[in-house]
Amino acid sequence: MQELVPHTTAIRPSPFSSLRARYFSTPLNGAVTLVCATVALWLLWSAFDWAVLHAVFGTGQREACLAAEGACWSVVSSRWRIVLFGLYPFEEQWRSGLACLVMGAVIALSCAPWFWNARRLPLLWVTGFATFYLLMRGGFFGLPVVTEQNWGGLSLTLFIFAAVCILGMPLAICFALLRRSKLPWIARTMALVIDTIRSLPLLSIMFTFAIVLPFVLPGWLTGDKLYRVIVGYALFFACYQAEIIRGGIQALPAGQEEAAMALGLGYWHRVGYIVLPQAFKNALPPTINQVVITFKETSLVTIIGFFDVMASGRAASGTAEWNFAVIEIYVFVALIFFVFVFSLSRYGAYLERRLDVGRR
Amino acid sequence: MSDTAIHIAQMQKFYGSFHVLKDINLDVARGEKIVICGPSGSGKSTLIRCINRLEEHQSGTIEVMGTALDDNVHHIDEIRREAGMVFQNFNLFPHMSVLDNCTLAPMLVRKTPRAEAEETAMRYLERVKIPDQARKYPGQLSGGQQQRVAIARALCMNPEIMLFDEPTSALDPEMIAEVLDVMVGLAQEGMTMVCVTHEMGFARQVADRVIFMADGQILEQAPPAEFFGAPRNERTRAFLGQVLGH
Ligand SMILES: Nc1ncnc2c1ncn2[C@@H]1O[C@H](COP(=O)(O)OP(=O)(O)OP(=O)(O)O)[C@@H](O)[C@H]1O
Ligand SMILES: [Mg+2]
Repeated sequence: MQELVPHTTAIRPSPFSSLRARYFSTPLNGAVTLVCATVALWLLWSAFDWAVLHAVFGTGQREACLAAEGACWSVVSSRWRIVLFGLYPFEEQWRSGLACLVMGAVIALSCAPWFWNARRLPLLWVTGFATFYLLMRGGFFGLPVVTEQNWGGLSLTLFIFAAVCILGMPLAICFALLRRSKLPWIARTMALVIDTIRSLPLLSIMFTFAIVLPFVLPGWLTGDKLYRVIVGYALFFACYQAEIIRGGIQALPAGQEEAAMALGLGYWHRVGYIVLPQAFKNALPPTINQVVITFKETSLVTIIGFFDVMASGRAASGTAEWNFAVIEIYVFVALIFFVFVFSLSRYGAYLERRLDVGRR
Repeated sequence: MSDTAIHIAQMQKFYGSFHVLKDINLDVARGEKIVICGPSGSGKSTLIRCINRLEEHQSGTIEVMGTALDDNVHHIDEIRREAGMVFQNFNLFPHMSVLDNCTLAPMLVRKTPRAEAEETAMRYLERVKIPDQARKYPGQLSGGQQQRVAIARALCMNPEIMLFDEPTSALDPEMIAEVLDVMVGLAQEGMTMVCVTHEMGFARQVADRVIFMADGQILEQAPPAEFFGAPRNERTRAFLGQVLGH
């Protein structure tokens, strides 16, 4: 390889000359560059002008907002509680807030390699999730019970996301292992199930589980609509994640399992100590990607009538008082998603680099 | 216990319709050292991998330390505990330290407490002359060191028999000697060994019997002096001519 790229890299061009070479190499190129730069600057300036210079801040500034040309951030500072907590009782909203912080901490801690083993990570998530659930639901130490019907906003989004991950990840591992089964009929059935579910839109799966299933299942099995949707979503997640894990397993040299067999390790020991740890390491970047997508797509539950952060946002600007400030609320909701998703995907990119460096 | 470590009789092995091993009969006594050689594709690896059921044979019998190798998983487990195996590509577990590579199977399979397993592992790592690498990961070691770890890892299970499948053929020449040294030491201590290798010097030095395979058959077997001095089979002579560079 080295001989193929001779001295070009040795002479580093100055930043200015590379700028010229790239953007102003011909008159036409230069003109295009100038036009694009002007448009970009103008867009940036208008956004800044709207969001900051002519914006109205401060709580309850409806009149000022109606008069102003810029953004009405007042709607956010007046109605943010609805976006974050939905219909959760006002007095108890600190619980919902605390629960969100707990879940955020769980997500952040999962990024630390110290937690990456088969005992710590599940323990972290199950404890975090249980804390979240108990805080939200209450019914002990004098905390009034708040049932799931009253959950909403960001806390509901986080609840659905965490439940889907906790349920979906073990399911994904099972699916991946079954698909690799030595018994052809098991492997083939599993492949069929996975491919079928993957080829259905998530929305239709959610609809089926939320609305169609109660007609099919016996009453004692139907459960709450929220949990049916979570199960459906977890199934969908598991099918995609199973394929990711299977890819990670297939990247292992056959010698790994053979060496473990030759040492006398049984199937579950081989899976638990040799195959899965290495498969997950191989599949880490796509796994993070899948988790990020799962977080984003929780917003689909609005369509089935849940007040997740998206629907709560619409509700927050849905009153006669604030119905002109829809854009501002959506910007706020988008920002919430952005914070979670962007930091997770940056983290994924960082990991990918780190793992690449670590590889021999 | 009988004197036979491995007993193979009328064993046949197919890959689909391809007849890989044809009527293999082989008895290995306890403490005996066998070297198997033969041209590429003759079925040497397949034969040695049938002994611990990494490959399944279709008919005939295989018994290891008196345990019949059949579809009973307990028998398979039993045999795998008795027979350690060393591979051409080392196959160390890259996500575990050298020490963990060595303690994993004793702790999981033999239920040895960690402290004891580590003590045993250190003893064997010393024996293969790399106790100072115990905390490193396989990727940080040279090929020769990795293969010695692989030998130590197999020995940690306290096997009666050691199976080697071309343990030195993935190594650079300067590392072959360090691995062969360990294997010679093992042979001198009386380990039962079945070793696929083209290291004819090693065969001369330690083998009790050298076996020549071609086309899935055992064509000739003899003590090394006779095998190298007066090979009877035409193909053995041709093969020896090639590997010995005559
Ligand atoms: N999984 C398999 N499926 C089908 N054929 C196979 C398989 N593994 C090996 N074979 C064939 O079986 C024959 C014996 O293979 P084997 O690996 O035992 O040879 P070998 O003597 O060890 O050769 P080498 O010296 O190259 O390692 C070869 O012809 C090979 O192509
Ligand atoms: Mg071979």
